[in-house]
Amino acid sequence: MLTSMDEATPVTLVNRVAGAVPRADTDDWVTRLRFGPGRDEAISELHNLMLRAARHQIARMPQSHDLGWTRRDEIVHAAADEATAAVLSRLVHFEGRSRFTTWAYKFAILQTAVEVRRSAWRRRETDLTGLQEPVSAASGPEAQAEANDLIRAVNDAMDRVLTEHQRHVAVALLIEGVPIDVLAERLGSNRNALYKTLHDARVRLRRDLTTRGYLAVPRPEVTQ
Amino acid sequence: MNSRSRDLDPLAIAQLTLDTAPYLSCDDCFEQVDAHVDALLSGAAEILTPDFRAHLIGCAACRDEARSLIDLAGQDLGVDRETVLSRFERALASPERPSL
Repeated sequence: MLTSMDEATPVTLVNRVAGAVPRADTDDWVTRLRFGPGRDEAISELHNLMLRAARHQIARMPQSHDLGWTRRDEIVHAAADEATAAVLSRLVHFEGRSRFTTWAYKFAILQTAVEVRRSAWRRRETDLTGLQEPVSAASGPEAQAEANDLIRAVNDAMDRVLTEHQRHVAVALLIEGVPIDVLAERLGSNRNALYKTLHDARVRLRRDLTTRGYLAVPRPEVTQ
Repeated sequence: MNSRSRDLDPLAIAQLTLDTAPYLSCDDCFEQVDAHVDALLSGAAEILTPDFRAHLIGCAACRDEARSLIDLAGQDLGVDRETVLSRFERALASPERPSL
């Protein structure tokens, strides 16, 4: 899974970063990967770079530890292969807004992270209607009463203002802790679509709870 | 409609009611993340754009991957890991200019 790369980065960000990117290394990578007799060697170096990023990513994901060495190694190599292919196919879109290596790393990190999340959850059933027992942080009868009142208000808002799909996505992602890539795979959707659903659900909940006095009216952010 | 009784914990309520505006898609976040990371690493920028920051706050997967990227890219530059990660967390925590 890789995301589309068609949207332009805001001009302000491009300008902000442009002066910080060392051109020599970046130009060298792009030139060597595009043309000439050294292209195969450059692709091999790129693959090593992707292996490094994949190993970095898998090492920092606790959920990968139970997968076993063999599966972890499979994930690392598959992610590096896919990321290498993705970088080569998108090379024409690379505009030098970052160092080449930073740009390339993100493909391997994404591929690895998605596969680890999916592998770790592969044998678990995602029951979108089931809920975990909570641990209440409220102490004292007054705090507990306020907490219970807020819980009732949020429950009520979830039932009144969310669509069934929004409710299922919000419960799975935020209450059951299902990783977004896992839920996307099981619903035949994608990260983008589920995040939009979640964003819209949050907007509806915030609007309802603000109207009913459970959330403070947001102050406009001061721009610099 | 009968209200379903969900015993939500404080973390779940905070997550459900998180303000994630202005909206940014995961695809656009992926498109921008390398430029933001290098800007933070080089010191060319100390803050994140509002939509990028809101997205990372609201999307655990993108946030984890961005954190991983700044960690890895920082290693290439020989930047101290704790410094890099704390800079990232400060940029996430506040839309205002963090003290470095």
